[in-house]
Amino acid sequence: MIEVKNVTKKYGKAVAVDNISFTIKEGEIIGLLGPNGAGKSTTMNMITGFIEQTTGEIIVDGYDMLKKPKKAKKQIGYMPEGVPLYTDLTVKEFVTYMAEMKQVNKKERKEKVEKIIEETGLKDVQKKLIRNLSRGYKQRVSMAGALVGDPKILILDEPTVGLDPKQITEIRNLIKELGKTHTVILSSHILSEVSQICNKVIIINKGKMVAIDTPENLENKVANNNDIYITVEDLENKMATIQEKIKEIEKIKLVAQNEDGTKQYVIQAKGNTDLRKIIFSEFAKENITIFEMKKADTTLEEAFMKLIEGGEK
Amino acid sequence: MKAILKKELKSYFLSPIGYVVIGIFLLCFSIFFYLTALSSGSVDLGALYYYTALYGLIIIVPILTMRMFAEERKNGTEQLLLTSPISIFKIVIGKLMAALSVIVITLIISFLFYFIVSFFGEPSINQVLVAMLGFILMSIATLSVGMFASSLTENQIIAGIITVAFLIMSLFITDISSVFTGFALINFYTSFAQGVISIENLISLLLFSVVFISFTMIVMQRRKMVK
Repeated sequence: MIEVKNVTKKYGKAVAVDNISFTIKEGEIIGLLGPNGAGKSTTMNMITGFIEQTTGEIIVDGYDMLKKPKKAKKQIGYMPEGVPLYTDLTVKEFVTYMAEMKQVNKKERKEKVEKIIEETGLKDVQKKLIRNLSRGYKQRVSMAGALVGDPKILILDEPTVGLDPKQITEIRNLIKELGKTHTVILSSHILSEVSQICNKVIIINKGKMVAIDTPENLENKVANNNDIYITVEDLENKMATIQEKIKEIEKIKLVAQNEDGTKQYVIQAKGNTDLRKIIFSEFAKENITIFEMKKADTTLEEAFMKLIEGGEK
Repeated sequence: MKAILKKELKSYFLSPIGYVVIGIFLLCFSIFFYLTALSSGSVDLGALYYYTALYGLIIIVPILTMRMFAEERKNGTEQLLLTSPISIFKIVIGKLMAALSVIVITLIISFLFYFIVSFFGEPSINQVLVAMLGFILMSIATLSVGMFASSLTENQIIAGIITVAFLIMSLFITDISSVFTGFALINFYTSFAQGVISIENLISLLLFSVVFISFTMIVMQRRKMVK
């Protein structure tokens, strides 16, 4: 559906996007993830044809964005960052204008505009000036503008920024619903959002693509699942020597010293061993009381931080 | 293109801009009608259009053009514009035509002066029509300049000032030295005001417009690369 091949965008000497390549298949919901200024919006702007790449190729539904912009742009519904709208128009006027811009057949136009207004939940405010709408509604209007003209691909730049929790859930559900019939690319810096909605994640940092995979695989990839968090009461101070007793331990790190005298450690295992059994029996022999023991489980958040830090090194 | 034309025209009349422009224009017409026709008892309406073109356009054109691209850029709506499947050429022409429509509306109202004069004498309808044709060409030329200025910046005021400065230069340059006669935009209009269609002047005005329309398109295209 979308092919991005070795795309680079330079502003003078500064490189905003550095040699990115990926392919997006039909029906996928892709999350574009990265810290602020990573090049998410620049990448999206290039895919939508708003700006031109310095080198490389972008192919949308078989059409090269630079050579056949009209046909390529017709396949895309774009909701830009910060939801720019013509605030002196009413909701209905705006959606109709977008329909005209996207060359929706005149006969079907009225019907389609009404359908989209209905779908995005704008029916009650369709006669209001956009200027007077709340942020949540503006977001919906922008979404309606992107949806009009039946594009195959939806590109949403930070679709949930500035909304309250209820609106965020609503918009996410709307995106999930749309994902059934469209190919969706959305950018976000909220990780839980991406892992909830998307079935593939692209992580970008400083203009470079760090990873592309499913959220689950990313979590597993960077996860150090043999790390064990443990809280112990160690009256005889035997933790210092425990590493000599249990050969499988790679590293022990004190994390916190609690007020009740217990201490929290992270224990890193050598290789792929699960240490919990050994720890349990050995600690009992050494007279260390275990208060709490759990295996670390990596979230996308940690995966993200690790990938980004790794990229910077 | 029709979509853009319709929307632009709508925004002119949803905001006070459209009415202000028509008001100022009619004020100009009325003042020059008094000065050139009424006070001297002349039935020649050519001077009316000539002076309105000379002084009126300097005020009107910047008001119509300053927001054209500057506002879109500032509000970010240019993203909607440039990611739609409409070519830059159509966007530019659509906007130009919308601004021109406001001027054409005033020109239609200006027929009033013809009817007033025809009570007292026999003004030449041909001269009035030719003067109007020339006026439209002059408007396209000056609007293109304004549009170009608007595409350069996201600040409407700066766009307006550039336009006024350029128009004062190009309309009054002959007052500095007669050497510049060939450069003064208004000199292309003189023959139209007298009721004569001069092919040379017609082509000159059209060429002038084409140059600035192209400049605007180049700026828009280039922004895709540097932005």
